[in-house]
Amino acid sequence: MGYKVPILRIAIWRGRMKALKGIVLIVTLLLGVLACGCIGGEKGTSQTQVSSEVQLTGNFTRDVVAIGRVLEENGIREVKFSVWGAGDPNSVMRVYGIVEAGRRINRIWEEKGINVRITTDVYYVSSFQNAYQEYLSKQPLGQAGDFFVNSYTYLPTLAEEGYILDITDYAQAYNNVIEDFYPSLLEASKYRGRLYGLPQDTEARPFYVRRDVARKIGLDVDTLPEKVKKGDFTWSDVYHWSKKAKESGATQWGLIHRKGSAHPDLIQFIYAFDGKLYNPQTGKLVVDVPAIYKWLYVEWKFARDGLLPKDIMSWDWAKQIHPTVVEGKTLFTIGGTWYWTEWQTKKYYRGRSLKPEEVKEWFGYTLFPAGERDKEPVTLSQPFIWMINSKAGEKNPKYQELKDVYHKLAFLMVVKASDPDINAIHSVISAHLPVRKEATKLIKDEKWLNDLKNLKVDLDERVKESIKDIVQVTVNPINAQFLADVSYMLEYTHLAPAHPKYPALADIFTEAVDKVLRGDMTPEEGVNYIVQKVKADPELARNVEIVGEVPKDWKFPE
Amino acid sequence: MNRMGREKIKDLSFFLFPMILMILFFYIIPLVMTVYTSFTPLRNWNVERYLFEFVGLYNYERLLYMFQHDPTFKAVILTTVVFLGITLVINVLGGLVLALATFFINERIASGFRLLWLLPRMSPIAVYSLVWYYFFHGSEIGTLNSILMKLGVISQPIPWGQIIPWGAWSILIFVNGLVGVSFGMIVFTSALNQIPRELIIAARVDGASTWDISRKILIPLMRWHILYVLTWQFLSLLTTFHHIFLLVQWNLINRDYGTTLALYVFNTAFGRGEQDQGLAAAAAVILSIVGIIGGYLTLKLLKFEKMMKKPRGDF
Repeated sequence: MGYKVPILRIAIWRGRMKALKGIVLIVTLLLGVLACGCIGGEKGTSQTQVSSEVQLTGNFTRDVVAIGRVLEENGIREVKFSVWGAGDPNSVMRVYGIVEAGRRINRIWEEKGINVRITTDVYYVSSFQNAYQEYLSKQPLGQAGDFFVNSYTYLPTLAEEGYILDITDYAQAYNNVIEDFYPSLLEASKYRGRLYGLPQDTEARPFYVRRDVARKIGLDVDTLPEKVKKGDFTWSDVYHWSKKAKESGATQWGLIHRKGSAHPDLIQFIYAFDGKLYNPQTGKLVVDVPAIYKWLYVEWKFARDGLLPKDIMSWDWAKQIHPTVVEGKTLFTIGGTWYWTEWQTKKYYRGRSLKPEEVKEWFGYTLFPAGERDKEPVTLSQPFIWMINSKAGEKNPKYQELKDVYHKLAFLMVVKASDPDINAIHSVISAHLPVRKEATKLIKDEKWLNDLKNLKVDLDERVKESIKDIVQVTVNPINAQFLADVSYMLEYTHLAPAHPKYPALADIFTEAVDKVLRGDMTPEEGVNYIVQKVKADPELARNVEIVGEVPKDWKFPE
Repeated sequence: MNRMGREKIKDLSFFLFPMILMILFFYIIPLVMTVYTSFTPLRNWNVERYLFEFVGLYNYERLLYMFQHDPTFKAVILTTVVFLGITLVINVLGGLVLALATFFINERIASGFRLLWLLPRMSPIAVYSLVWYYFFHGSEIGTLNSILMKLGVISQPIPWGQIIPWGAWSILIFVNGLVGVSFGMIVFTSALNQIPRELIIAARVDGASTWDISRKILIPLMRWHILYVLTWQFLSLLTTFHHIFLLVQWNLINRDYGTTLALYVFNTAFGRGEQDQGLAAAAAVILSIVGIIGGYLTLKLLKFEKMMKKPRGDF
């Protein structure tokens, strides 16, 4: 009796299994027949295969239309993108350029009767470092912007982690556009030979000289740019004139520079003393001891003689640094091209901003002088790059099937955002330098400048509304001339290394400069501090070469 | 297990499960994840790529190597000890004094006074830090310098936070001390309100002064609360870095003598242009171990077990 129940259950179970197998077989056969019917009957029916692929041809309109049609066929009516950017208040075209690109593509679709539209959200913050940190933490979660405009120094890390799109293959079809970018800037958009973005802007870092102060002490500012260019005016001369300006009572300070960070402005000292920051043979960063020692010595000497505030690294931008410069309390200033328009839009001068005429009258500008007689003058650029999130378009329908289409559309938006007029508008209103030769031509065109001044340009209303106040203040022949005048500096430009460990090394430089300026360390101790800090982190030490020794017979000023 | 025992466990489980779940989700799982992450090369939040790679003790070795060779590490340890010691005393004693002072005055005035001391804690960290940034700023834009210069006390602005070590330490302790005092004040005020009034009235009748009442009645009855505040504040101060981070970041206080161990750990892991979560996790584990040992020692030294002894007699 004890065995009967299990045997019976097994028999019932076997019976059920047989029935189940039969049903599965029948269903499979039916599905097979249906499938055959579908395949065989395709020609005869009205059903069509929906495409999810587009080949880029290099003809912008044709490619945009092809993408629009594929999206339309897939039932997509709206493509939502977001763009994240950072910078000074005048550089908002970094995000609005993408908005405008979306509008221009929408217009093509409208003309061709394609019922798809792009909408773009913008997110713009002042600190590009913070924007990068936010992108880094949100990209893996799929919450970062589809477009990200930021410094090229972050590109290697983002590319290494797979957080931005490799656009090398897409760009091949658009060689005609790509070739119009300045080659050094395109290089800054690459990592390990692959292209990860398109340049958005760049700048030079002029060495500003206060004309009225210079006049008082007999320094001829008009001939100075040429002297600096030839290497006849070096940092020793900067020291002498600074001392003269201070001792004669013409100014409070001889020199003012940025606060808080050694990168990028102060890194120019390394290049001005013919130092290196990167060894392309080994792929490692370089701590060039002689050049760094000379840099720290110059800072130390200026601070000890009261020509440069010893606590400058903790000064306040808006309350101290800019007011000191625009009020003529310093002879020299290490600054950037964007200062030129920032002084015209921000109230740094006794509660008001400067007029373009005042800026022109008060400030001359040269390259960053050579460190010594036999060295070259320099400048340093930090190109901003339009990068595309490797998850671009993820928030849109059918992402998995249409991923490639969304990515190509994002690429085309960046191509469109690089239109010469968009790039030229950004350059004029933010005093950054154009990244394309065509844009450089445009900012020299007086008629175009006049049209921009009156906002008679082909721009989205939302974009016009956002930039109208900045345009009013900044678009004028003086500023356009300034951009034309400083563009030669790009021939002397250096780029800090695009190496994932560079930000860590630059932070150590900052600490050393601050200590040396305050007099907590001598220049030699400052160099030793940098070396010790580098060696303290095994990972940093593995990525950094320490070369040379502290020069024993070197004198400053010469 | 008998039926009664099972019933008891069932009842206990029912009442305890929300708290057990909370502890599990917010304490145990993050702790396990932190320890796990410390054995991986996780960086730049790239979970997909690095989370299942195992590097053994590499992050700990790297961290210990940095501790040994970093030229600023000694200053960091010294700063941590001084900051922790002095701020802890200020927080506990300050809280106690404020609670006692407000206990003996009119309730309406006392409430207003207590609210005033709560302001630093209620203010957003950035706003509160900014207030002190401008107050102690080392140039003539700093409020303190500006007042002293107008009064003719000083002729040149003084970079308060850059006077090492005590200038930096004083600002650090002052800013954090003001935030921490209110916590002790609230706990102690609540403890004082639980003490039967009869005891105080009787002492007054016997001619005891306010000082005698405080010393011989109130403080002994608040021993448990003092221990709690002391332990809690010790652990808080050991791990706090928000205000300190901003003050150092804005260059108000000297970087070396303004950096505590918690901030050093944060900067090492996140603040150097990199986001190294593996290293950060290893640092967090080390900091937790220091906290656990410190907390245990505090409880031992103040005889916590003795205080928690079961009361004699039946319920």
